[in-house]
Amino acid sequence: MTRHLVCRADQVVGNAVLPVMLGRGKILLTRLPSGEIKAIASRCPHQGADLQHGCLTGHVHSDEPNVLLIDRPGQILRCPWHGFEFDVCSGESVADHGKLRLRGFDVEIENGDVFIVM
Amino acid sequence: MLLLDADVHESFSGIRDLIPYLAEPYREWIARGAWRGFSQPFAYTSPGSGNRADVRNADGSASVSDYGLMRDQLLKPYNHSYAVLTGYFYPTMLKLQYGLGSALAAAYNDYVAEHWLAKDKRFIGSIQINARDPEGAAREIDRMAAHPQIKQVMLPVVDDIAYGHPQYRPIFAAAERHGLVIALHHTILAVGPFGMGLHYIERHALLPTSMMAEVISLILNGVFDGYPSLRFIILEGGFSWLPHLMWRMDREYRQGRVEVPWVKKLPSQHMRERLRFSTQPAEDLSGDQWMKLIDLMGSDEYLVFSTDYPHFDFDDPEMSIPRSLPDDLKEKIFWKNGAALYNLTAPAQ
Repeated sequence: MTRHLVCRADQVVGNAVLPVMLGRGKILLTRLPSGEIKAIASRCPHQGADLQHGCLTGHVHSDEPNVLLIDRPGQILRCPWHGFEFDVCSGESVADHGKLRLRGFDVEIENGDVFIVM
Repeated sequence: MLLLDADVHESFSGIRDLIPYLAEPYREWIARGAWRGFSQPFAYTSPGSGNRADVRNADGSASVSDYGLMRDQLLKPYNHSYAVLTGYFYPTMLKLQYGLGSALAAAYNDYVAEHWLAKDKRFIGSIQINARDPEGAAREIDRMAAHPQIKQVMLPVVDDIAYGHPQYRPIFAAAERHGLVIALHHTILAVGPFGMGLHYIERHALLPTSMMAEVISLILNGVFDGYPSLRFIILEGGFSWLPHLMWRMDREYRQGRVEVPWVKKLPSQHMRERLRFSTQPAEDLSGDQWMKLIDLMGSDEYLVFSTDYPHFDFDDPEMSIPRSLPDDLKEKIFWKNGAALYNLTAPAQ
């Protein structure tokens, strides 16, 4: 396992993604309402769009037609091309219930620095 | 091999046959000729008009309502185990006077129970409703559901509001309450996206598009999720379009789920679990094409054989499905898939 310093923790905010380069690969960082920082691959597993240009939103859910509710704020990343939804915590596609998955990375915080562990 | 025929059209000889079964004031209306029944807004071009030209009485006149003829032309020669009666008198086509429509549906159901279902235990019955009066339709379903031969509710496809609209929910609730199948069948009002076209052949070729629209409406407006034990069959609406619709709707769902989060599964999963199709018109596919299509559908449990007797585009049980298909697949199409849908066991010999 190798730790890679990628940014300062205070650079990572909620409802937005911070792109960082790790070698030739781009990784996106975001902060959940709980304060936890999540790291995911920037390449959409569907057709390869750069998720840096997508939007972070909540999870829209409902058990009743024409009623829209939202939970998991800032946790769902939508692809800038087709709008596919991915949970940044699990990497799972919301619609596919896990069949299409976004790659996630372990994150460690030390002395205000953010490290990706690979 | 056991045979279940999912689409057999019983009829009456004319609207006046319903007079004894109609509630007042509608009995008086029909008795004095206030309405003479539906007539199609086009001409049939086939030799027997809407029916096979050989569906005739002993005197040579066209037969439209004769159990004995149906027994001798269909049930006996093909050795039917069951025939699902689906009618072709759909009061939902009456665009106003909803009370009359509901009364006609009830009268027709009583007529069919006495003149058809009672004559042959091989008949499986369908409840006719007026879908424009959803609460009345639900009461009619409740009234008829206890009949031992009744297994489904007919939902006729007309030309205005698709069945995913919330107004129709009482119908689905009633059907689910009684464990009945929902059967969608076109009517003489069914249209394609640009209407009926300019010719009967055009309108007939468009019919599958109206069924696709209903499936899209039912799934995306939450009917499949809201009534989880309800099962559906598309009658006479084609089936080879299913792979396209599954792929298209899954893609749409992946990118647009946020608009319809009450839909909890991929549309293709809903279809695989809950939707079935009658085979007629079987589109004259070769055996090889059948096998490719089943592979693309992802299941051999979608298809239920049907003849559409006595209509002109009848499919012969011995000729319309290629004999070269594997025996286990033919057994599913002719018997097992329909028996599972309607919860039937093989009749005693």
